[in-house]
Amino acid sequence: MRIAWLVIRKDLAAELRSPQAMVSMLFFGFLLLVILNVAVPAGARVAPETGAGILWVAVTFAAVLGLARTFDREKQNRCLEGLLLSPLSPEALFGAKMAVNCIFMGISQVAILPIFFILYGDGFLHAPVMLALVLLLANTGFSATGTLFAAITAGANRNEALLPMLFFPLVMPLIAMAVKVTSMIFAGAGPAEYGSWLQVMAAFALIFTGLGFLFTGRIIRD
Amino acid sequence: MKPLPRNPEPILTLCTALLLAAALYAVFLHAPAERVMGLVQKIFYFHLSCALAAFLSFTTACAAGVAYLVSRNLKWDILGAAAVEIGLVFTTLVLATGMLWGRPVWNAWWTWDPRLTTSLILWFIFASYFILRSAVEQRQRRATYCAVMAIVGFVDVPIVFLSARLWRSIHPVVIKADSINMAPAMVTALLASLAAFTALWVLLLQRRVRTLALAERILTMEHRLDREPALSTERK
Amino acid sequence: MAAADHLEIAGLCKDYEGCRALCNVSLRLEQGDFLALLGPNGAGKSTLLRIIATLVLPDRGSVRVRGADLAEDPERFRRRLGFISHHGLFYDHMSAQENLVFSAALYGVADPPARAEELLRRVGLHHQRHRRAATFSRGMRQRLSIARALVNDPDLLLLDEPFTGLDRQAASLLGEQLLLLKERQRTIIMVTHDMERGLAMASRVGILARGRLVFLEQRQRIDPATFGELYHAATSGGRVS
Repeated sequence: MRIAWLVIRKDLAAELRSPQAMVSMLFFGFLLLVILNVAVPAGARVAPETGAGILWVAVTFAAVLGLARTFDREKQNRCLEGLLLSPLSPEALFGAKMAVNCIFMGISQVAILPIFFILYGDGFLHAPVMLALVLLLANTGFSATGTLFAAITAGANRNEALLPMLFFPLVMPLIAMAVKVTSMIFAGAGPAEYGSWLQVMAAFALIFTGLGFLFTGRIIRD
Repeated sequence: MKPLPRNPEPILTLCTALLLAAALYAVFLHAPAERVMGLVQKIFYFHLSCALAAFLSFTTACAAGVAYLVSRNLKWDILGAAAVEIGLVFTTLVLATGMLWGRPVWNAWWTWDPRLTTSLILWFIFASYFILRSAVEQRQRRATYCAVMAIVGFVDVPIVFLSARLWRSIHPVVIKADSINMAPAMVTALLASLAAFTALWVLLLQRRVRTLALAERILTMEHRLDREPALSTERK
Repeated sequence: MAAADHLEIAGLCKDYEGCRALCNVSLRLEQGDFLALLGPNGAGKSTLLRIIATLVLPDRGSVRVRGADLAEDPERFRRRLGFISHHGLFYDHMSAQENLVFSAALYGVADPPARAEELLRRVGLHHQRHRRAATFSRGMRQRLSIARALVNDPDLLLLDEPFTGLDRQAASLLGEQLLLLKERQRTIIMVTHDMERGLAMASRVGILARGRLVFLEQRQRIDPATFGELYHAATSGGRVS
């Protein structure tokens, strides 16, 4: 745990010094919010389903930009090898990278959400705590799956384009559930109505975190 | 040098051909035409058979993935790749036959029914398996990555289905695909078709495994020649 | 003597792309041994080092360190492992000092800043310690890389062609540090194709050819004058006893 924390701190410090991942995530997120405006007829009120869809497209595409950079800094001077030679276990490395990705996603969403409400109407702003919970569950699932596949694409040849193609089919159910729950929250539904969805989202996050811990060692050692 | 994998038994080929012929007979001549849907309903036999073959493929791929990760023997990687290839073909057929059936019966090429959605996402997951395969050159590494992909994809399928189901349970279910009553002759036709496609699946899998194993051998030989130029000149 | 074995490698095999990279390599090293591992390109030297370093899994065979199988607790083993290759293994966006403090903390060194300070002085980078590594010259990068490898005061040091591409200053620094470690009875394996340097520093000499360990002998029993011929025979032909 202590050793994983060292890696998390190193990555956060690096991002603080030159926020490459953060800048691209935020910029792309904002850009998508503006582009997706074309899906809304002029002058019409945005339906909750449409609003939720727009929000999640922006959030997930921003997230994948961050995920793609997971092992970028470890590639210079073969630093990943340096980490693997240290007493750090592959599982701790996975945990640290997953945590860093989760933190980056959370921060980017803190900036993207207000812009969303400004552009598409604050009438959606119903249960901020529940919305935060949905985001947290989705982020956990995204960062688990994304970190696992970032480790895979780090060892592949054309890795920039590869990650989204492997990542999106697998997280499609998670995105679908997140959109569903978000649209219900936007429409003013109570937690009782979407509780079972949250459970499935949590199950997804848990399963893929487990798979990540299980497979990372083999992936980075081959 | 390991001996070549043996040629697929001609008997297996023959059996598959006979079973397919029998299935065609059972489906088109033995089984009666459905009263409402008419001839279109015949697609159903092949649709379900393709679905079975696809399911067999992806289960095999997942099992081969586990076997590779445990044993680090490349033959499991070849089995997995062959299974996913065939599975992808059958999933495409499932989607295509489903659409052909859906157009006259449901009056739509496509609906976001849980089964359809799951098949489509499954198709995407295993198509991305090949994108990954083509992006990694080092063979052991490629095998490991693909094994993980096959396992993770397989684990994902029930979640996809569950989420698609939950989605529908909120909206009323318009179409129930499983409320089809079948005449005994129809059941015979279905069983014949399932048997024939299972045999076809085994045949295709064996052929693909053999082809891939041969390709692997050629590659290995090329590598050896590259590494030991002395050997290639000696042979000349 | 049996109890003093530091490293015991038995029956190691590894295939790459269908080719034998390592074939049944067995080897024992005692505490304080300095093994120079010679051999032509593609003989499997780096693969052997990478397997010992737990970077690569072997297909068959085992590596035991002080009697314990490496596969059982690799994290504990790596705590006292050093590895030098021509890759720096440090972060360009961090300063020399930050890099060393991070590494020291990774290895669980008691007082990382103090350890970093000491190493920076030892490799002569103390004045530049706050500069980002990206701005370093080639020689400075090499010295930082050496400091990084020594951060945990390794018990077993693996070197993969360490002198290749080093400038004179860095090479003599590395040589000094290696002799220092040798005096302190640290076990060292150095992969090199530099026969002279290998013979000059090592206590044992091995030759790896086509994945096989074809020669292994105590340094004092080797005559440097005839070793060149022996090397040539070993790497081009069969086994030499």
